[in-house]
Amino acid sequence: MIVFVAVLVALAILLGLVWLLFGSQRSAPTPTIGDLQIERVLPVNCRHFPQISQLLSQEDIQFMRERTPRHIQTKWRAERRSILKQYLSGLRQDFGRLERLARLIAALSPEIRKRQEWEWFWLVLQFHFSYRIIALKLALGSFSPEGLAGLTEMIAGLTTELENRMALIAEHSPSRMRTNAAG
Amino acid sequence: MNLSLFDSVYWAATAFLEVGVFCLALRRRLFTRLPFFTLYLGLVVADEALLWLTYRFIGIRSRISYDVYWTSQALLVLSRAVVVYEICRALLLPFAGIWKLCRPLLVGLGLILVASALATARRTVHPISATTIMADRGLEFTVASVLLFGLIFCRYYRVEIPRHLAWIALGLGFYSAIQVANNTFLGDWLTQQHFMVWGALRRASFNIATLLWLVALWKPLPAAAPAPVLLARGEYEILAPQVSGRLRELNARLLEIWK
Repeated sequence: MIVFVAVLVALAILLGLVWLLFGSQRSAPTPTIGDLQIERVLPVNCRHFPQISQLLSQEDIQFMRERTPRHIQTKWRAERRSILKQYLSGLRQDFGRLERLARLIAALSPEIRKRQEWEWFWLVLQFHFSYRIIALKLALGSFSPEGLAGLTEMIAGLTTELENRMALIAEHSPSRMRTNAAG
Repeated sequence: MNLSLFDSVYWAATAFLEVGVFCLALRRRLFTRLPFFTLYLGLVVADEALLWLTYRFIGIRSRISYDVYWTSQALLVLSRAVVVYEICRALLLPFAGIWKLCRPLLVGLGLILVASALATARRTVHPISATTIMADRGLEFTVASVLLFGLIFCRYYRVEIPRHLAWIALGLGFYSAIQVANNTFLGDWLTQQHFMVWGALRRASFNIATLLWLVALWKPLPAAAPAPVLLARGEYEILAPQVSGRLRELNARLLEIWK
């Protein structure tokens, strides 16, 4: 048994090494201060959230329920799910960009706080876990039409906050962090 | 000397390869970038010469040969540990903040694993050679784990790994990983027949590692990258809470959706 475990450990080490040393990300260049441009790292997809939110509004549900046959309603719901999936994917991309910004700031800082880095690491883990669960629920159709509308409104609410935050980060950012995102 | 013709030829070829890699390292002026790794390659060559002389004049089955072999192996495994630290340092030192965070973790992990390896070896109730093999397994595991941990840091912070360092690290990790499995086989089934297989695997895996180092040094080393320009002190303190707040909000939103 112990021999089997040792072989597995050795294989895991070898695969891990090859992935870490020659995996796809290795080709990415080392971060430089030039990468620290707000428009390249701050969220972008959230800007389209209000339009999508409008597309998926509560009134539409009521209208469709009263005026359309069942098979059209089913098709319509499937389309809404598909839009929401893209919507969530946009949210993940935005999170990814912020995550990259966080790592870039850490990589280029002469002093970093252990606690802060752990918090970022933990937040990233949490986000990816929650994202997978929600994507699975969407794929299985576990959200009701009302739930979907609620989800839409909730995500749409992020837009204003994100715009405010972007302005705030730009305001406090060093001169090297050029931006046109805030204005 | 009780070596067969095949063993003698194989040994000569191994020594030739090791001397070749050491000379190539000197020619590439690797000592300006990785002085400990260059020294390690020199130690490997010296170790081959020492073992050959010991076996030639004292005999391969003598107690002195056994002690010389394991003492030199202990020295080499410790040198590999230093080389792993040197590689992590070479990769992360330009990023002062990350290196300050990573260094105590690497050293702490190394110390914990070494202590655990020695404790496991002391508990072993097998003969002395099994105890030595268990200690060797623990130390090789330490080398591989510290290397993996350092590379995970590089991956997480997207630090680029130059080609020559990648091949050198692969050689070190490959040899250590094979020894972890190989020493476990021998620790479990300590017989003369297995001892031969163990020895052959050990030599072959080291030859493969040496070939990987040859690949690393085959082309001229890339020009040293200039040190990255860092943010001013205090900018992290301003930016980090902003980004943190944003990440927390996105997370909270997702959690609300989930619930």
